[in-house]
Amino acid sequence: MQRFLDPAILASIGNLELLARTVVDGFVAGLHRSADFGFSQEFAEYRAYTPGEDPRHIDWNLFARTERTYLKRYRGETNSQVTVLLDASNSMKYTSHAVNKMDYARYAAAALMYMAIKYQRDAAGIVVFDDDVRDAVRPSTRQGQLYRVLAALDRAEPAARTNFANPMRHAHELLRRRGMVMVFSDFFGDPEEMVEAIEPLRYHGSEVTLFQVLDPKEIKPELRGPSVLEDMETGQVMEVIPDYAKNEYRRRLQAHLAAIEARARAAGMDYRLLVTDQPLDATLQAYLSLRKAVAA
Amino acid sequence: MGFLAPWFLAGALAIGLPVYVHLLRRHKSIPLPFSSLMFFERGTQSSTKHQRLKYLLLFSLRAVIVLLLALAFASPFIRRPASKAHDRLLLLVVDRSLSMRSGTRFAEAKQQALRVLSGRHSGQKAQVMALGGQLEALTQPIEDDETLRSAINGLQPGDGRSNFGDLGRSVRALDEANHTPIDLHLFSDMQRSSVPGNFAEMVLPESTKLILHPTINRTEENFTVVSVDAPSQIADTKAARIRAVVAGYNSKAATKKVSLVIDGNTVTTKTVNLAENGTATVEFTGLDVPYGLSRCAVAIEGSDALPSDDQWRFAVRRSDPEHILLVRPASDTRSPLYVSAAIAAASQGAYLLQPMNSDTVTESDPTKYAYVILSDVPSLPIAFENALRKYVQGGGNVLMAVGTNAGRQGKLPLLGSGTGQPHLYTREGDPMSVGDLDRTHAALRETTGWTDTHFSFAANVDTNGMRILAKLTDGTPLLMDKQLGEGHVLILSSGFDNLTNDLPLSPAFVPFLDLATRYLSGTEHLSGARLVDEFVPLRSATTGNGPGASVDVIAPDGRRPLTLAEAATAQTLRLGSAGFYQVRFANGRDGLIGVNADTRESNLEILPPDVQQLWAGSANGNGGSTAVAAQNDTVRVSLWWYAMLVLFLVALAESIVAGQYLGTQREEA
Repeated sequence: MQRFLDPAILASIGNLELLARTVVDGFVAGLHRSADFGFSQEFAEYRAYTPGEDPRHIDWNLFARTERTYLKRYRGETNSQVTVLLDASNSMKYTSHAVNKMDYARYAAAALMYMAIKYQRDAAGIVVFDDDVRDAVRPSTRQGQLYRVLAALDRAEPAARTNFANPMRHAHELLRRRGMVMVFSDFFGDPEEMVEAIEPLRYHGSEVTLFQVLDPKEIKPELRGPSVLEDMETGQVMEVIPDYAKNEYRRRLQAHLAAIEARARAAGMDYRLLVTDQPLDATLQAYLSLRKAVAA
Repeated sequence: MGFLAPWFLAGALAIGLPVYVHLLRRHKSIPLPFSSLMFFERGTQSSTKHQRLKYLLLFSLRAVIVLLLALAFASPFIRRPASKAHDRLLLLVVDRSLSMRSGTRFAEAKQQALRVLSGRHSGQKAQVMALGGQLEALTQPIEDDETLRSAINGLQPGDGRSNFGDLGRSVRALDEANHTPIDLHLFSDMQRSSVPGNFAEMVLPESTKLILHPTINRTEENFTVVSVDAPSQIADTKAARIRAVVAGYNSKAATKKVSLVIDGNTVTTKTVNLAENGTATVEFTGLDVPYGLSRCAVAIEGSDALPSDDQWRFAVRRSDPEHILLVRPASDTRSPLYVSAAIAAASQGAYLLQPMNSDTVTESDPTKYAYVILSDVPSLPIAFENALRKYVQGGGNVLMAVGTNAGRQGKLPLLGSGTGQPHLYTREGDPMSVGDLDRTHAALRETTGWTDTHFSFAANVDTNGMRILAKLTDGTPLLMDKQLGEGHVLILSSGFDNLTNDLPLSPAFVPFLDLATRYLSGTEHLSGARLVDEFVPLRSATTGNGPGASVDVIAPDGRRPLTLAEAATAQTLRLGSAGFYQVRFANGRDGLIGVNADTRESNLEILPPDVQQLWAGSANGNGGSTAVAAQNDTVRVSLWWYAMLVLFLVALAESIVAGQYLGTQREEA
């Protein structure tokens, strides 16, 4: 089943829904468990009814016996809201093999949406941004939501530069309800500024996870002799020597990754590094563990 | 400094190539898109300068390689003062070949050598060598005048043939070993026949100065016996025929008496008329020699410039006819006919063929025969085969013809070698002829006519462990020699019956059987005639060196040329002088060999002066310029090797720098 999660193989599938289904089915088959996580009607607890709550959940049998109103709670009964924030800046176009970072993030987000909507009945939405919000689909459980989300993913094409400040402000306005927020980006910027921009998303009680998507050659670049490199976002040109790329660059990148992770965790956010030649299951694993935390 | 080939310097223009690669093409680098340059900083790229230096170093190395290549091809040289006279080796080479026996040539050569030795610079080393059949060093390079003089005085004329090619090769080897400039003085009659076919063999090293000392400046008349065709073994003295060829060199028409001499007594004399520089053939019938070995000679009478070559010596063994056993299938009646006739013609009655059917040969004893012929015998009675194997392993020999019967059997008798599917050339197309011949083998030496024979059948014999002597044009082995113990088996992969081939009717058949009979009967080296400096095998390679295996040789001068240790171990004997050699071989058989000088020594024509000058000039570089070089006391020293050495080092440095500069950055494990 591992091959259903291999991004290089998935790149040959043109249909995003089919791709998402392939990934999720492969992932679920690998778990050897039921797919209906949290949707068993297993009794969880009784909670005293407070005025204003939906009276449909009152256990009338218990009321008949005790003349007290209790709400009956079931495990997994609570549906969550999942929102994906997808960075569509130019740097996401970089690739050294079959799948570029944007595609990888798109596949991961599609699989996530599919699993959330089809399996978990969660409300799912998406925000595509670069230096501003380019496209947005509000989280919803309405019929056809999956197709709207996938269409937004399909439309997302890298353009412009990354700037988290504006897009995160708009996203904060869109996401009023508590849920899960997953940010896909390469996070090439100042860790402090980026985390500060994303942090307000947690104010509604949402669980935020940062998925940093990187190409393997961004982590370990290989140069055959001195080369001239051009920044895909700024257009800046610089001559680079192999020795520097091999030593100093890697040291700086590792420090940057460590700084982002440390800052994110300090702000109560989860952090995952996704490398584009790795299988996609890390995203789904993160989603499930996060959902469990939210449900609890 | 100069250049031998200055036009190669134009190759330096190729320096444009590294200029283009390094200075022009590098500006066309295409930027590679990268996601973010935030981790690269201009300020931290300080090692770029270092890289640029390395880049320029690489460019410089490549440019130097191009320049050095052009320089090396232009063959640069410098002039250096010539070495001082006492630094040069004085090499005195005295010709002691047969032709030096003529008149006072040899004495004159020695006198001249002594005079040159007297004029030697003080402290100069000298070496004395003798040029005969081979170049012999009589002394080491020494300064001791007494030793050098005694070496020259002790020189005696020989019977060998001088070859200036040998001299050239030896001096070149000496120069390579010692790197000492040589003044080579050659004292010789400068015979034209001493010049090898390829003049380049005579050319001496550049540092060697050749000074020729001809002992004579005119060509003299000489008569000689060029060759004698005589049987080495006879049974019927009256039937024996001796045919001699006499010749005159630089001679006018003359009448000469030619005599047949047996054991020192002239038995027959004939008169022949020789045309100017002509040859004539003399034939003697009957050779009345006693049983055993006799010393015979054909001599030409009358005085000439070189009496030493006026007779041709040969040894004859008289014995009762020896028998050769021919085993054949009952159905084969042709082989005995052809083989018998050929042996009778070749050996002049010395051998008689005794044919026997393969099924009645059981009781025969092979040791009673000179050798055994197996003519297309598919199998032998076990008792006879065992006796035959023992006979061969003990030193006996067998000639085996593998015709249509034996070739299809799958296994050869006696040898046990397998045979594959035979070749039937008449079915496959045209008959095959002989392609390759190994004429160094005693059974094929000097034979002709093989290429005109046609073979319609050839057995496919497994030749493992055999020496292949002849092949058909399609590569099929035709004649093989296999050693079995002390003896040999000669295998012909076709028949003697004139059905599988036309060999029995071809001109090659009688000479082949003659040589094969001499080889297989073991009488090849027991009598007959040889040339000076030929080698005679004294024992087979597998003969032990224990007691009883020692040989005994008596040279023409009555001395024993081999020491006791050599007599016990020597494999071959070099026939160093003309005359009769008495040899007792390791197998106990006695032989007598007549040894004659090479007839090329008889032609006393001298080398034209212009050729002598050419040779002397070539020994010092470019002919006439040599004298100029000598006058200016400078020698040319080539810098080619130095240029190539530097080129190699620069190329090595270039590959190291390029490897560091252009190599792919690899991950450490």
